Amino acid sequence: TGLAQKVSINVKNVSIVQVLEQIQSQTSYNFLYNSKDLINTKPVSLSVKDMSLTEALDRCFKNQPVNYYIENTTVLIESKRVEAVAERELRKVIKGKITDEKGEALPGVSVKIKGSATGTVSANDGSFTISVDNTDAILVFTFIGFEPLERKVGSASIMSIVLKPVTTGLSEVIVVGYGTQKKVDVTGSIASVSEEAIKSVPASNLISALQSQAPGLDIQKAGGNSHPGATPSIAIRGKRSLDAGASSDVLYVVDGIPYNSTYINDLNQDDVTSVQILKDASATAIYGSRGANGVILITTRRGKTGAPVITYSGYGGASTALGHYDVMDVKAYETYKKWGNYNANNPNTIGAPNRYSGIDDPKFYTDGITFLPAELAGMENGTATDWQKLIFKNGLKTNHQLSVSGGTPTTKYAVSAGYYNEGGLFPGLSFKRYSFKVSVDQELGKYVKVGVSSLNTISKIYGEDINPVVQALISSPLTVPYDDKGNLIPFPGGGSLTYNPLANLVPGAVVQRRSRYNTFTTLYAEAQILPHLKYRFNGGLELTPETFGEFYGSATFKNLSGPSTGKNKNYDYYDYTLENLLTYENTFSKKHHVTATGLFSFQEDYKANTEFSYNNILADDIQYFNPALGANLSGKGDYKKFDIVSFMGRINYDYMSKYLLTLTMRSDGSSTLAPGNKYHLFPSVALGWNIAQEDFMKNISFLSNLKLRAGYGSVGNAAVSPYQTLGGLELLNYNYGTTNVTGTYPNNVPNPQLGWEYTSTLNLGLDFGLLNDRITGSVDVYKQNTSDLILPQNLPITTGYTKQFLANVGKTQNKGLELSISSTNIVAASRKDFGWTTNFNITFNRNKIVALQNGVTEDVGNNRFVGKPINSLYNYVRLGIWQNTAADSALARDLKLTMTGAASVIGTIKVADLNGDGVINSNDRTIVGSRDPKFLGGFTNRFSYYGFDLNVVSTYRVGGTQIAYWLQPGSKVNALNGKENNLNINYWTPDNHENTYPKPNFNVQSPAYGDLLGYYNASYLKIKTINLGYSLPPAIVNKIGVKSLHVYSSFNDAIILFSKLHDRFPGIDPESAGTLGVDTPPTKSLLFGLNVTF
Amino acid sequence: KKQLIEQPRSGLTPQYFQTAQGFQSGLDAAYAGNRDIWGNEGLMTMTTPGTDEFKSGGGGNSDMNIYSSSFDANNTFVPRVWNACYTYINDCNGVIDNGALVTGLDPAIVKQKIAEAKFLRANYYFLLVRFWGPVTLNTHFIAEPITSAERAPIADVYNFIIQDLKDAIDGLPPSPVKNGVLPGKATAAAASHLLAKVYLTRAYSSAKQSDDFLNAYNTAKGLIDNIGTLGLGLLPDFASVYAEGNEGSKEILWSVQHTSNLTYNNNSNELNFYYVMGYENFPGLVRSMAYGRPYARVQLTRWMSDTCFADKTNDTRYYKTFQSVWLSNSADKIPKVNGVPKYALGDTAIYMPGVDVSDTKINATRYLLVPPRNYTLQLFPTMLKYQDTRRAGINDPSVRPVIVYRLAETYLLAAEAAVNLGDNANAAKYINAVRERAANPTGNVAAMTITPDKVSLDYVLDERSRELAGEQTRWLDLVRTNKLIERVKKHNPDAGANIQEKHLLRPIPQTQIDRVISGPKYPQNTGY
Repeated sequence: TGLAQKVSINVKNVSIVQVLEQIQSQTSYNFLYNSKDLINTKPVSLSVKDMSLTEALDRCFKNQPVNYYIENTTVLIESKRVEAVAERELRKVIKGKITDEKGEALPGVSVKIKGSATGTVSANDGSFTISVDNTDAILVFTFIGFEPLERKVGSASIMSIVLKPVTTGLSEVIVVGYGTQKKVDVTGSIASVSEEAIKSVPASNLISALQSQAPGLDIQKAGGNSHPGATPSIAIRGKRSLDAGASSDVLYVVDGIPYNSTYINDLNQDDVTSVQILKDASATAIYGSRGANGVILITTRRGKTGAPVITYSGYGGASTALGHYDVMDVKAYETYKKWGNYNANNPNTIGAPNRYSGIDDPKFYTDGITFLPAELAGMENGTATDWQKLIFKNGLKTNHQLSVSGGTPTTKYAVSAGYYNEGGLFPGLSFKRYSFKVSVDQELGKYVKVGVSSLNTISKIYGEDINPVVQALISSPLTVPYDDKGNLIPFPGGGSLTYNPLANLVPGAVVQRRSRYNTFTTLYAEAQILPHLKYRFNGGLELTPETFGEFYGSATFKNLSGPSTGKNKNYDYYDYTLENLLTYENTFSKKHHVTATGLFSFQEDYKANTEFSYNNILADDIQYFNPALGANLSGKGDYKKFDIVSFMGRINYDYMSKYLLTLTMRSDGSSTLAPGNKYHLFPSVALGWNIAQEDFMKNISFLSNLKLRAGYGSVGNAAVSPYQTLGGLELLNYNYGTTNVTGTYPNNVPNPQLGWEYTSTLNLGLDFGLLNDRITGSVDVYKQNTSDLILPQNLPITTGYTKQFLANVGKTQNKGLELSISSTNIVAASRKDFGWTTNFNITFNRNKIVALQNGVTEDVGNNRFVGKPINSLYNYVRLGIWQNTAADSALARDLKLTMTGAASVIGTIKVADLNGDGVINSNDRTIVGSRDPKFLGGFTNRFSYYGFDLNVVSTYRVGGTQIAYWLQPGSKVNALNGKENNLNINYWTPDNHENTYPKPNFNVQSPAYGDLLGYYNASYLKIKTINLGYSLPPAIVNKIGVKSLHVYSSFNDAIILFSKLHDRFPGIDPESAGTLGVDTPPTKSLLFGLNVTF
Repeated sequence: KKQLIEQPRSGLTPQYFQTAQGFQSGLDAAYAGNRDIWGNEGLMTMTTPGTDEFKSGGGGNSDMNIYSSSFDANNTFVPRVWNACYTYINDCNGVIDNGALVTGLDPAIVKQKIAEAKFLRANYYFLLVRFWGPVTLNTHFIAEPITSAERAPIADVYNFIIQDLKDAIDGLPPSPVKNGVLPGKATAAAASHLLAKVYLTRAYSSAKQSDDFLNAYNTAKGLIDNIGTLGLGLLPDFASVYAEGNEGSKEILWSVQHTSNLTYNNNSNELNFYYVMGYENFPGLVRSMAYGRPYARVQLTRWMSDTCFADKTNDTRYYKTFQSVWLSNSADKIPKVNGVPKYALGDTAIYMPGVDVSDTKINATRYLLVPPRNYTLQLFPTMLKYQDTRRAGINDPSVRPVIVYRLAETYLLAAEAAVNLGDNANAAKYINAVRERAANPTGNVAAMTITPDKVSLDYVLDERSRELAGEQTRWLDLVRTNKLIERVKKHNPDAGANIQEKHLLRPIPQTQIDRVISGPKYPQNTGY
């Protein structure tokens, strides 16, 4: 296209430089020359109109002592004399400049002469100088993130090199298990998340940053927990294993070595350069049983050849509660309490016999029951305490990361240090992470390469259980937190069960400190034994000693003014992996490309911990530092060790990158299973067809890529706690007078049959690229059948075992469809242009139980139903509230429900007599919903204009019923007993025929069927992050001596749309894996950040 | 391969029961399991309210207390007893079955420990059969996953219990207060008392044997006749029976142990909470160690207060069972008239005489004077038997052992058996033994003594209320004697309207029914 550009020039006897300037202004071409080469040029006269560039140049350079060459958009001009010199001299010096497509200089690019060890690296302004032996020499330019380029020297002495960034294009190399593969050759279902995408979300941990960035990935706050340092829940392609059965933990592999998922928060996402999510059996088979729930491969930054690159990135800002829970104010609370007591006496109708004449009976203020003395005093004083206002504060968030990387062709290094600090919404609550990472790669001669990488983290979580929310919500607004002297009143109600919510926030009242020292060190040694055969040793060790100390003073709501309590916990954990890998790679007849990989791996995981608790510590200042200063010391310990031995073989074959085949076999042995069932062999096969490479596709120009993938394989899961098969005894202490004894009783039934859980997955995928890859995407459909499910099973209580045990029973199925599309909607050719890209992904997953043990179709005790999702909700069907109407009374009487006195059903939750047998009992329960969404996903839009960039990251979830615990009476926040403060809901009274919330009743601890109140529609759309940034122009940046400088601000987690729950309770975030607890309230944050590269 | 063999180090497996230590610790846990029952809100709620003696207080859920339609198989209290019984029955079975395999122990010791396990097993089954009727009868240790269960006829369950108790009496030390028997340990005396109660209970049931009343009488009498040699006896003062720290007296046959060493007191005794009224919400009073933590789960009925304890003078037990005076313990909360406190710290803040007083007198009294007609859900006499002033914190559960079987009840069991045998003379004799003690020290013994013509089953039940009020046996007593519905309708107006025939048994916990997934469905009790 470029050469088609036309120029119009009309000059007489001007210098060639002037002509070139005119051409430059009319075209997108640049000219590169040495001024001295042009000294001898003759003046030019030229009169052309709409002439092609080359023609114009030809005329311009006719009979001149210089030649020109066009390379991309650069016109190189050099003296003709040079050729002669080049022929005389053997050595020749080449100068050049390397830029990216936007013309920005690329430092640190490796420049090598092909076939020799000679090489150099581009300087900060992208320039390089290298001398070559002859004109046939080929220069190889390589730079991570860019496509390698080879250039023959020829007659050139000046080179303008433009490197193209690696796009989703076919030549992209991605990390797969135990190796890398060209994307074009990949047969499995793998989703990638780029460094840019991770960085666009300033989350506290990597997993939060991955939310909604890839299809098939379901990441949610666990139980709605927004606590600093809380780890979100993650699932890849739905749930296969069931809760508390075999673990459904995703396998994290960091730099090739498994990383303990418990500590994923210890990983500083600023060190991560790419994330790959392996989803189908063909992709995960290589990890065998460990990969049963999907694998997330995490690659951290390694050094690159070149001058040191120093980067600083940081942000800071504040987080605040998304909003407050809507609880009753003084007036509503007063009325509510009166109803509670009124209903406890006789609730049916106004005028029925009752201790109270009605809701306005003055007796309520003197009966000693309805209001506490402190509340009566509060009424007189006009007290109206907003307890939530008292407990919430703003949390501060800061993150700093400084890194240096660089290297020579043989030694590369990357060093980084990070600091992250997130304060919580209550005093005493924080998560701090100090990280230090170093990696070195060293080539030892031609054939051997070694490398080591060490990630070191100190994580400190303070106040992990500080959560006064429930206390604050149920505290009486008629009471005050402090007495006249400013002292905290332990029970503001004067002896009620509600302890002062501020008590735990008093400095020193609650001390909880968790410190973990996580060292994750991996090393490898790679040797090219034969031209096509490589041996590699991988070793990885994760050491995570951890200590936890806890102190609760007397005046806390744990101890309710009783003796203080202390606790210490020490963890001694390690996990190591040793692997021996042989890789054979060769191409036969230039068409048949084969890679064969063999592996032997051994992994051991060890966890031991001890715990001490005690009370009545002599002085509060001691906190948890000396158990000997407390009383009633008791201790316990836990020891768990498991080992996995694996053998694996894999063959990748491709025919001209057109037809692809992957065969994998892995044999795993797991110590956790019963003898005789420990070993199993898991095969998988996958095929790929790059349709776009076929001749018949060459003419379809809008299709730049089209690949069909099919994979089938089986993986196993044995991720159960050790010793499950042996059965177990529980300890139970007792005393005979002053003789203390430790008893044991059986509580865990042995299961000598426990074996592998198998999942076979069929995956069909289609990758496509349209309009020269401006639009790329993938579609995957899959079916996973899981059999011999390791299920936690309840036994009839009459067996004596109330604790669940693990057994292989039942089958589940997951079917799904995943789609991801990336589109460059508007291409920005340069910094000044407007650019817009969109990433979109959507995931559908349908899950059901296919079979249960012994042909059982309903296992109510374990909430499992054949043909229904694992996450089914089984309960009564709520119809509304029993009204004081003739029709309802007649119906209630027919159902033999109590109609008189405090236990009258009128005004309580009405459920359906589903089977119509005239009585409401457990047989009337049915499946009332499922926690699974219909579909979920995310989309990200990025806009750029004049150095400004705007990223909007959104996540959505549609369908599914979730449970909000705080709407259920059991949470105490919606207890509806008229004793403590309550959510400000519209409850039933004899003259308010409210149909959702039952009457408050002082004499009913928890309303019948009250758990049905917690169900909510879990759909939402959340704008997770709006990130607005500005990159300083290169010219300015260069002046101040840095390579790039980017400032931004981001607004996070604030906008939640299409959630009825959020609309009704604006302080609530509907996002929750599992029941939404009354936990640390969700937060929104506003952050300001800076990224600089030197 | 070697790496794949598991060796647990922080946990024990069932094989441990075959060792001398394991055998012993299994038995210790079988004792400890009783803490999940006696001292827990489950058993308290299943035995105390919803009877003629007690009704709902202001705390907790009244469903079960008043037999409302929402009291069903999903009730949270009922499974606590069910679960504990079956958990520790299997534990007892483990001990008993492994008795033959255990090594390193003197056979005599093995024999005694098996006898102890049998006593405990019988006791657990006796709870089950009385609350639920036909129940699953596991006679051997279960160490494999079984997903089916059946209910055995009550006759089988009773036979099994009686055999266990006979074996226990044979192998146990005779007396809890002799030969260094540790507190809380099973003894032949306790087993005899229990056996008498089992015979007596079966005697009224559909599984009755013709000699059940006689056996009950003879067993109870046998124990009473031997109290001299056993070192047992009624204490002279009723007040000292439940005095703090006196749980090992000569009147106590068996108790569930607790200790102030919290490490060994893991499953709490919360009986000190449930009977305490909400005094702290009234003038002059704040929560205190002495007056307890006011859960106010249950309160006495008017029948208990007015009719059963009509004589509060000669029968000293009313004021020894129920608190009548609360002394002001908070100067801040003393009401003021024209700025002057109505009374001083340490003066009476609340007085509940237990008898009626006029409104004029109430209004003229500077403290809160509360006759029975003014009792509310929060304001009623606290039952004192489980008060604990030695607990660790003001809101902490009790560290006192729970008295389960005591000699006074043996007398009343003998009396009840005698009445049913038509032997009113002996019935009166045993009742009078208890009543005479009740007069001590201030009552008139002669006024307390009854003659055989006054004795009836109802009288025995009334006497049990006076002696054993709140001791977690009433509901079972009323069911045993087929008097539950009659007396609840008569004496407990809240519950009387709702009680039905089905309420003679408790619902099988829904979790049990739901978890039986092979074989026949586990039957629910009729009506639930």
